[in-house]
Amino acid sequence: MVEMAQVKATPKTYDVVVVGSGAGGGVAAHVLSLAGAKVCMLEAGGWYDGTKQSSMFQWPYNAPHRGAGGKEKPFGYFDATMVGGWQVPGEPYTNAAGSEWKWWRARMLGGRTNHYGRISLRMGPYDFKPYSRDGKGFDWPITYEDLAPYYDKAEELIGVFGTQEGLENTPDGKFLPAPAPRGFEKLVKQVCDKLKIPCIPSRLAILTKQLHGRAACHYCAQCGRACAVNANFNSPGVHIFPAMKTGNLEVRTDAMAREVVVGSDGLARGVSYVDKKTRSDTTVYARIVVLAASCCETARIMLNSKSSRFPDGIANSSGLVGRYLMDTVGSPVGGYLPILEDLPPHNEDGVGGMHLYMPWWNYQQQKAGKMPFARGYHIEFGGGRGLPGPGDFGGSEELFGGGYGVELKRKVRRAYGAFVGFDGRGEMIPNADSYCELDPNTVDEWGIPVLRFHFKWSQDEILQAKHMQDTFKEIITTAGGKYFTSATPENNWGISKGGEIIHEVGAARMGDNPKTSVLNQYCQAWDCKNLFITDAAPFVSNADKNPTLTISALGWRTSEYIADQVKKRNLPA
Amino acid sequence: MGENQKEQGAVSRRELFQVLGTAPALAAATAGSGLAQSQEAHQKTYQRKLFDEHQWRTVRVLSDLIIPADDRSGSATQAGVPEFIDDWLNFRKQEDGNDDLSAQVLGGLAWLDRESLRLFEKSFADAADAQQKQILDRIAWLGRAAAEDQRWVAFFNKFRDLTLNGFFSSKIGVGDLPYLGNTAVAEWKGCEPDVWARIEERMKNGYKGLGGEVKPF
Repeated sequence: MVEMAQVKATPKTYDVVVVGSGAGGGVAAHVLSLAGAKVCMLEAGGWYDGTKQSSMFQWPYNAPHRGAGGKEKPFGYFDATMVGGWQVPGEPYTNAAGSEWKWWRARMLGGRTNHYGRISLRMGPYDFKPYSRDGKGFDWPITYEDLAPYYDKAEELIGVFGTQEGLENTPDGKFLPAPAPRGFEKLVKQVCDKLKIPCIPSRLAILTKQLHGRAACHYCAQCGRACAVNANFNSPGVHIFPAMKTGNLEVRTDAMAREVVVGSDGLARGVSYVDKKTRSDTTVYARIVVLAASCCETARIMLNSKSSRFPDGIANSSGLVGRYLMDTVGSPVGGYLPILEDLPPHNEDGVGGMHLYMPWWNYQQQKAGKMPFARGYHIEFGGGRGLPGPGDFGGSEELFGGGYGVELKRKVRRAYGAFVGFDGRGEMIPNADSYCELDPNTVDEWGIPVLRFHFKWSQDEILQAKHMQDTFKEIITTAGGKYFTSATPENNWGISKGGEIIHEVGAARMGDNPKTSVLNQYCQAWDCKNLFITDAAPFVSNADKNPTLTISALGWRTSEYIADQVKKRNLPA
Repeated sequence: MGENQKEQGAVSRRELFQVLGTAPALAAATAGSGLAQSQEAHQKTYQRKLFDEHQWRTVRVLSDLIIPADDRSGSATQAGVPEFIDDWLNFRKQEDGNDDLSAQVLGGLAWLDRESLRLFEKSFADAADAQQKQILDRIAWLGRAAAEDQRWVAFFNKFRDLTLNGFFSSKIGVGDLPYLGNTAVAEWKGCEPDVWARIEERMKNGYKGLGGEVKPF
């Protein structure tokens, strides 16, 4: 191959190059640089430090369009995601006919950990062996017990609040104290007690006590705007900046990874990236390559890493890179609970997220064959006297029949705080119709081929969405409320679009057989022993438990394995 | 134990609130293009994007009919609702790639004038308060409206939603509700006892609210 004039090679060789700076890249860089490795991290977006760039305490009425979300800032003007969203300028993706996958990307240091919901749920023992339980999907090559010590470590570093409950397939963790519930949450718990749905303190990566020099939460409910005092988990503040203090971590921002460079021996030599500022191609050399660019972006880099050794993309002899892509099942119902009208004014901001949630409760009925679908969901809910925004006060026709004038003004005032919203977060079973591949025609502005998505829900997910709808309606009506939903049989019970819940996992799954998996149980590529993945691409299934904590634990386990293998000289050092 | 740890805790709590004190200023300095500005300043310097002079008058009159001043807070125009609606319609046009919402609102405003001229020989904005309400009473309640007025009920419903969203997300509206957060809380205690007592009492004895009757449970 002819080397082009503008291709520059950085002569230094690092121990490890990590692609991505979110939950997965952050934990790998943190663990490996603290273990003494010289690490170079590539981030496709710009620098971000929430302690300097948070928009905490700003008021929507001082922002354009009262802080509403738009194409540039889908989660609102004050959201921490500076560059990112469902579309990234200059970086398209495509959908095959009949598919409507949505791909959220955050181009910034820390990736999606800057704005995410901080929900931190351990997968349970059943979740690692779903095929063995119901014959659908695939088993993981590891058990809960294999990962449990790393859940401990992850929780102890990032700080997660919660309570010891001992519920089925809902493992407890190393928790900080949970914050007391808000009024509407206590009410919903009473209703759930009546309906025999467990409603317990949620588990969020927000500090209710000081931890490792980070301040405790001050309860402004604005975690999504980034925290100026670093009281919530975000990869820069918790993983990256402390790792940089060791002197072992170098971070390169605006570095858009393009391909893994391979030597004639079939080992990875480093990563080529486009420096977005100069539009020049650069290669960073390293003895070990860790991909953590986010599930789909990692698959994209692998598929784009074609060589004579790997004609179908690096480490893809199984043909499974990009395959069995999953998201989470979502289906919402809104409610109006008159019992919450006209309460004495009080501040119920709390932490940036729910104080209570409902883990899946039908394992036994499912086992007994009494449920019409496989796998389960947990319930997330919100409401109360939140920060008033420009989308919060519609619907007076449905609620009051209409009206205007002083009487209407009083009604809306009384109704403030009486709205609740329920959303399910359910498990999707991997299927052969859901995958990503390189689009044969489209490239991004950096000249890198883009992904084309294929996506399909199965009946298990659709019937789960129906069950969500029925359950949420029952909770709302039991509380004497009115429900609002746009779900119908025609729209598959309001089921979310693929990718919309931003829990994409899979696409380079781990396993115990090189023919039916991309990675071994240490997230090491079968075909290329110095290539590892620490984002959600190795996931074999997508339990209802939000992926981030499992990314952290699995990434930690992989990083320790790398350090150990280097020590044992099984990997190049 | 004790002293040392306590002192450390106290210091960091003090530091925390120092950091919190400077955070908004920092954020304002780094927010970049489309910089946030105070609502008062925004209202004073606002340049209309959609409504012409006559429509603007009508919007001001109509939004104040929906949210007048009362003993607790100011009116829609005092809260900047007309500016909000004008900007919002333009924003939706950009975001949605069509101007369906603007068309519905402008069409509804045109109808108000048409009806008012037919009945009172005055534009809606120039009609007397009672005359304006006579027209609104036809379209303000879905259940009471005549079938042929249905599309104007839909217009009014949309305009009412815009007015309420603009009012209650304004500085005046936030104070009216009142929303008491967006601030640092030294110690989170959960639902306040008097609030929970009220909820519990309603659960036990039932509650007849605006949005329906709740039976005891």
